[in-house]
Amino acid sequence: MAMNFWDSQRQARRKTTLYLAVFFGLTLAASILAEIAMRVFAGDDYGDPQIPYVALGFLTITFSVAGFNYLNYLQAGGSYVAESVGAELVDPYTRNPKERQLLNIVEEIAIATSLPVPPVYILEAKEINAFAAGTSPQNAAITVTRGCLNLLNRDELQGVLAHEFGHVYNKDMTIGMRVAAMIMGFFIVSYIGIRLLQSSTYSRRDDDDRRGGNPVLLVALIFVVAGSVTWFFGSILQAMVSRQREYLADASAVQYTRNPQGIANALRKILRENVSDMPKSGQPFAHLYFNEHSSFWSRLFATHPPLEERIAAIEGRSFEDIDMPPFPRARSRSIPPPPPSI
Amino acid sequence: MSTLLIVILVIAVLFALWAMGIYNRLVQLRNQVNNAWSQIDVQLQRRYDLIPNLVEAVKGYMGYEKGTLEAVISARNQAQAARNQVQQSGGPTESSLKDLATADSALRGAVTNIMALAENYPQLRASENMQQLQEELSSTENKVAFARQAYNDNVMTYNTAQQEFPAVLVASALGHHIVELFQVEDQQVKKAPKVSFS
Repeated sequence: MAMNFWDSQRQARRKTTLYLAVFFGLTLAASILAEIAMRVFAGDDYGDPQIPYVALGFLTITFSVAGFNYLNYLQAGGSYVAESVGAELVDPYTRNPKERQLLNIVEEIAIATSLPVPPVYILEAKEINAFAAGTSPQNAAITVTRGCLNLLNRDELQGVLAHEFGHVYNKDMTIGMRVAAMIMGFFIVSYIGIRLLQSSTYSRRDDDDRRGGNPVLLVALIFVVAGSVTWFFGSILQAMVSRQREYLADASAVQYTRNPQGIANALRKILRENVSDMPKSGQPFAHLYFNEHSSFWSRLFATHPPLEERIAAIEGRSFEDIDMPPFPRARSRSIPPPPPSI
Repeated sequence: MSTLLIVILVIAVLFALWAMGIYNRLVQLRNQVNNAWSQIDVQLQRRYDLIPNLVEAVKGYMGYEKGTLEAVISARNQAQAARNQVQQSGGPTESSLKDLATADSALRGAVTNIMALAENYPQLRASENMQQLQEELSSTENKVAFARQAYNDNVMTYNTAQQEFPAVLVASALGHHIVELFQVEDQQVKKAPKVSFS
């Protein structure tokens, strides 16, 4: 009945590898197609050089922007991210019983995972949400909302924290940041294309008309197309990878706690939740919150799988909305709440 | 002649590197096992330290449940003794682990009894001190369980590394031997719960 978490983990890892391979293939294919396009459309001016300049240009720009961005991300440890969304460090000697419990649970899971105990932050928000940030287990930090403490029981809170530890253990932040850095690289390529396009159309006025196409214009156009196509499909792949990492973290949570009901019931409570007040300042950081899976497009770019599917995967059976104590529910909201970053 | 010498030398170097790799891996794994054991040890000791506090906290309310309180104290002392035994024998051995597991599950049974009895005293249940103790005890309980899980995982990896070919040829010569898993006979699970409505 319950999930076989080893199998689920293997499956999620395999899919991650596949999607990342496709991502890499997409990058190479875009650079090769750009080179071919240049040779076909500007054969006269471009000639037939031994070295594929356009493809190399595309790859160089993408990877150097990505590398620069990634190094930038690395500067920010988990605590920096937590503090920049306004979360506050929990006092290690707190007398507040709920905070005491939170710290205890974090220590428990740290033992279960053999990871160092990370600093724990609380974000004063009413909704149930949590996230792990940091670039390595040594500088990771875990943040939970006040809503987590108020609304979840001990087992559910343990499930949520085990899920976040799963992200730390599986190095999901690093994977996410690398992919995000590459996406930024694609964006910059198309941005350079647009700027080139602008400047070359200006300079063309001064130029005497040349017969045939302007090679700079063509390079610019190719950069715009290649950059935005890879940016678009790269973003979809990024979301696909992110969703697999969520399944992996859920399966890891079950592995650590051996208690599927903890995390499953926490997700159920989120499903029935009607508040959403996570600060918007968190948005630049990773894929914390994206819009709910209402339309085709938002499903395509969603960083988290639908809650129902996650619960079904954890419980190893199709989703049923049962077995829950009454929980405040409001159907009047027209805007669906954003998904949790749990 | 010199080519033969070079071939022999290369083979000797490769062999040395291979042996070094196995040696280092086994040492690393053994240290992980030892570290995982000390995690368990720390948490067990913490639990034994918490028991007197628990007894102190409930004594005022359930003074006439003297038998239960004495039972938990003696179970605690036995578990402490079993833990010290393991410590003195320089790490877990098969028999000392078994003793510890038995003593520890007896202690858990006794604590569960007290907690169940405490339900009958609303004032006690509501006291802040008791709630804190309850949280600390259940957290320590979880830590022991998770530490045991981690210990057993590490032991499994270490044992597998010793049994794998080609490490199996040299493992025991390098002073490595198979380590016992820490399995707890859970009396609570094996025994059907007794329910009485009186």
